[in-house]
Amino acid sequence: MSYHLPVILFLLPFATAICMPMVGSRRRRWCRPMALTAVFAMCVAAVINLWIVVEHGETRYAFGGWPISTSLPDHPLGIEWVNDGLASVMLVAVSFLAWLCLFYGGPLTPQSLGAREALYYTLILMLISGLTGIVLAGDIFNVFVFLEVSALSAYALVGIPGGRALIVAFRYLILGTLGASFYLLGVVFLYATTGTLNIADLGQQIADKPELMTSKAVIGGTTFMFIGFGIKMALFPLHGWLPGAYTLAPDSISPLLAALMTKVALYAWVRIMFWALGARAEIGQVHVLALLGGFGAVAAVVGALLALIQEDLKRMFAYGGISHVGLILIGVSQGNQTGFAGSMFYLINDAVMQAGLFFVAGAAIHQHGARTVEDLSRLRLSPWMIGAITVLAMSMIGIPPTGGFFGKWNIILGAIEAGNYSAVAAVVVATLLTMAWFQRLFVRIFSDMQESPGAAGAEMHPSLRLSVGIPAAAVIVLGLCSDPIIRFFRETAAAAGL
Amino acid sequence: MLELIEAALQRPNFIAFVVLFLWGFFIMVTHSNLVKKLIGMYLVQTSILLLLVTIGVKQDATVPILQGSDAVLSTADQMTPADYTNPLPHVLALTAIVVQVATLGVSLALVTAIYRKYGSLDEDEILQRIE
Repeated sequence: MSYHLPVILFLLPFATAICMPMVGSRRRRWCRPMALTAVFAMCVAAVINLWIVVEHGETRYAFGGWPISTSLPDHPLGIEWVNDGLASVMLVAVSFLAWLCLFYGGPLTPQSLGAREALYYTLILMLISGLTGIVLAGDIFNVFVFLEVSALSAYALVGIPGGRALIVAFRYLILGTLGASFYLLGVVFLYATTGTLNIADLGQQIADKPELMTSKAVIGGTTFMFIGFGIKMALFPLHGWLPGAYTLAPDSISPLLAALMTKVALYAWVRIMFWALGARAEIGQVHVLALLGGFGAVAAVVGALLALIQEDLKRMFAYGGISHVGLILIGVSQGNQTGFAGSMFYLINDAVMQAGLFFVAGAAIHQHGARTVEDLSRLRLSPWMIGAITVLAMSMIGIPPTGGFFGKWNIILGAIEAGNYSAVAAVVVATLLTMAWFQRLFVRIFSDMQESPGAAGAEMHPSLRLSVGIPAAAVIVLGLCSDPIIRFFRETAAAAGL
Repeated sequence: MLELIEAALQRPNFIAFVVLFLWGFFIMVTHSNLVKKLIGMYLVQTSILLLLVTIGVKQDATVPILQGSDAVLSTADQMTPADYTNPLPHVLALTAIVVQVATLGVSLALVTAIYRKYGSLDEDEILQRIE
């Protein structure tokens, strides 16, 4: 039973997604409870799975019993799912955030859906199962398929409100498909050279035959893969699709996309980078990690700079997310355990923070019609939102005792350990810029205390209150428990060859 | 330089795929008509699929179905892998085609919805109408 747990985890949202149109066409009121129950069961399974992995070590799932061992004379013929420390923690994060986003989405579900509500929940569950698949996949082609499963659901979900959202959804689709195509091209190149798709086997072959890394096909394949993931994780020059899509997506959907899509793509790249290419990989004379660190530094600074000049609240947070993807890449690319552990911890924190910020942005639109920074003074009517955004801002900037501080602290420590002071400077500059754009928000919220924020509207829905409160509480809890979590990630970093 | 050209000419199919890929990419980037963008996207994906299929091919090899008498087939050691083409790239291409079809379906649905809303397929015209 415990061996099959990763597959059960994937099947819970997947099977519910398939049943949803059948049940939902007759009984529309059942859709939401069904989706919530399925994802809640997934949370429970993910926690049990994490406990099993911590107690008994990683498991590798062989589909259909086909051999997956990478030691000769066997060849990894079958499809493999890797359920190791990193994956199991990611699974917990993905399932909890997905449940929270579903829970939050209730009062904000677009009214225009009508009878299509069942299909809406089907798409959300498909998205969640696709993300679960990416986290678990131990095979580069599998990653491609799951990337597309989650991305296709995301395109459709972004387009729900109609009008301008359709245009950004189309743009997202074109760029996302281009990214996936680049990734597939990379997979073809690697397969043509090594004859394997299994990540562990690729890693072994590259470790055994270092000359592979000088072959043009492997260099080209790696580059294409990185471009593909760069689009999927919205790395700075390739981020064009993200701000529009997150701004115009329904308020109930943008937290889910913001929290999970880019982070899981980043996770998939980390897995391929460390487990297949190896931490010491070099292309030509250039260290791959050094290159990544450079990209990350540029993205961190420019993303925060762009966030500073935005007027629309959701767009501002979207650029904040782009900046944080850069920060995580900086930490990953320092080539030591401290940086890696800090980054992975920050990745989870960032997912929570992005979810929380978009919760607040969506609730502000729903409750007070506040879309832009100008309207923010109306937020004073809702103490829950003010409290949540204050705590989340502390975490985004990196003030203890929130989780954001400990992540960033370890990223900086890792960069100092590697003697990479330009990376330290980039993190500090990005932090200052993040502080600057939150400063803009708080000045708008708290300035002109005499000015009446307008008549008090309807009471905030209790589930909305709870769902803006939970991420804020979660970043503090993550901060207080940061020590064991970071220690755990250090162990996974050792497994990654650092 | 001459060696490079010579090496490239040995695999003319690869040149065709590169041309197809870049052509599709060019259409995707330059055309403002949404359906033409999709055609470009389709060309890009197809060129990758063709590349995927061709890398499984071997000279003088046949379909990957075991041949010979039953006695020979009972011992897998006696078969020579060089006699058979690699079936895996075909399977991968099949899966990728399914993904491609799904993508095309979603994208055409989006284009239809855009056309119903704005009455145009030209991106510039639509953007003008929004403003």
